[in-house]
Amino acid sequence: MVTDQLKKIILDVLKLDEFEFQDNTTADQVPGWDSLSHLNVITAVEKEYSIRFKAYELLKLKDVGDLQNVINSKLSSAK
Amino acid sequence: MNKQSIKDFNSVWERWQFLSVDRPNTDAIIHWVTGEEPYRWTFSSLIERANYYSKYLLKKGIKPGQVCAMIIRHNPEFYPLYLGIVGIGALPTVLAYPNPRLHPDKFRQGLEGMSQRSGLDYLLTEKDLEPVIGALINSPNSTIKGLHFPFEENLIFSNSELDSELFTIRASMKRKDPILLQHSSGTTGLQKPVILTHHDILEHVVQYGEALYLNNSDKFISWTPLYHDMGLIGTFHMPLAYGIPTIQINTFEWILAPVILFDAASKEKATITLQPNFAFNLLTNKVHDEDMEGVDLSSLRLLVNAAEPIRHDTMERFIDRFKNYGLNELAPTTQYGMAETTLALVQTPPGQKYKIMEVDRQKLANGVVEYTNENTKVKRICISSGILLDGCQMKIVDDNRITLPDDTLGEIAVKSVSLFDGYRNYPEKTAQVMDNEGWYHTSDYGFIHDGELYVIGRKDDIIIVAGNNMYPEDVEDVINKIDGVQKGRIIAFGEADEELGTEVISVIVETKLEDEKEKKILINEIKKAGMSIDVTISNIYLVPPRWLIKSSAGKPSRKANSERILEEKRKNKGDN
Repeated sequence: MVTDQLKKIILDVLKLDEFEFQDNTTADQVPGWDSLSHLNVITAVEKEYSIRFKAYELLKLKDVGDLQNVINSKLSSAK
Repeated sequence: MNKQSIKDFNSVWERWQFLSVDRPNTDAIIHWVTGEEPYRWTFSSLIERANYYSKYLLKKGIKPGQVCAMIIRHNPEFYPLYLGIVGIGALPTVLAYPNPRLHPDKFRQGLEGMSQRSGLDYLLTEKDLEPVIGALINSPNSTIKGLHFPFEENLIFSNSELDSELFTIRASMKRKDPILLQHSSGTTGLQKPVILTHHDILEHVVQYGEALYLNNSDKFISWTPLYHDMGLIGTFHMPLAYGIPTIQINTFEWILAPVILFDAASKEKATITLQPNFAFNLLTNKVHDEDMEGVDLSSLRLLVNAAEPIRHDTMERFIDRFKNYGLNELAPTTQYGMAETTLALVQTPPGQKYKIMEVDRQKLANGVVEYTNENTKVKRICISSGILLDGCQMKIVDDNRITLPDDTLGEIAVKSVSLFDGYRNYPEKTAQVMDNEGWYHTSDYGFIHDGELYVIGRKDDIIIVAGNNMYPEDVEDVINKIDGVQKGRIIAFGEADEELGTEVISVIVETKLEDEKEKKILINEIKKAGMSIDVTISNIYLVPPRWLIKSSAGKPSRKANSERILEEKRKNKGDN
């Protein structure tokens, strides 16, 4: 389940007002989410949650649900 | 190696065949996939496999001189297929595999337009694309005669089958025969098809090889796509014809995790890479210290910045960021060139720091190059792209193509021993850019100082996003079809993005809409329209009717209007 916090980060980076994110939403379905802005999304997520992604983790992300899962797992292991 | 010998070959194919015997077990291509063992083609195994594909193509009825468009994702079989096409005297042209965001109809239409302009004969691709492009075969609006999936079928040939045909074709290859077709970017048939010959490639390997002090211990590494001249010529043809290896990284993996370049370079001890300015920025900004654990950049002797305007701060920040990881501070270097000159025209000599000039920005805007002094209000640091390669000439000209003195801003005009012969099927465009004395007029603005070329910007409206040329017309056309937009009252332009180190696409759109909610919906529609042609529109400025200033030709002026909106933006920021 994509949280409102993650939705807001993505919308802010992509300068979008609204978008209906589902777990299986992929970047190519979201206006403005191309490969360059993807890195900005990742940077914003890292900053917001104080986490760091490894290169291999970034290559495995298929959709927004994957991104949320990696965030959740990093947050829970940090506790 | 005797470099002169490269020039002595009759064809690039002959050179490759020689290398397969001269250094059969040397790596030619190291195909890199993150998390897997790289696939290694030696010069001998590559040619052997290329021979299979040459026979495959002959079996499919493809003839010398016909154009084979390759639309293929990162795949180790790509390289021998490319060589196999050259090996039957046909012309490979590498096209980008469609991004999922690109609407299938738009992709098909773009391909159709390109086929009419360039005369594409065959498509070599993956079966996944058949539903999208199958209809192009024998369509009245396309020149495409056949669609083949060479990686998804396996033909068996008896021992000497087709050998004599291949021998005859290869023996008759001449230096001035075309070897490949390259396209500039664009989505609607505005692409300019550049034909290069065997002579162009062989000459360029020698002239650019000398400029880079290339030697047999060099090893290239690249993530740049092979449909881009930097990738195809700089990091594929160059090392392959020279006889040294290249590590080919998946472009899409690199952009998701830029550290892959450094990781692979460190493991393979790569020595040279070429990439556009934005890539240096991206590496500086996005690679974390944790990712650099165990990475050693000391083998890299050249990191060439080219293909889009080079920014001084990008280069300095890059050096500062990675010097503690073994980066030689003189390795980041500068180059300028274009597909029409095969690749490079000028290059900063290896081992030397690129030159810079601090000039008066306001005077530069009026065409005058003047060092800063105590009266300078705004300064600009211009970075040199280097000195001429052997066999090249350059000059700066005014709008009437009259030569200007040094330290004067004007259009860059060039000559080269590896200059193209003209655009394919496009004599009117060729006539526009080539003059009677054989000078190619680049549409780039710059100046010459002490024999070094400083590139400042573009004469035309082309937008360069991350090294790729984009035509504003493509973006304007697709937005023009949206309800709520004043028809024909749109301009697209490139807006500098300091964070990315490249230009992004911005649009100014006239609309009668006043309701904020309706405007938001329109902005969303404009972004989606961009997506449909695989273009990200980063900034959308909605303005009321009659806001846009017209040029003397009666169309909205991109230059005047972009300057106006950016000035307003600056003022608003200042007010805040």
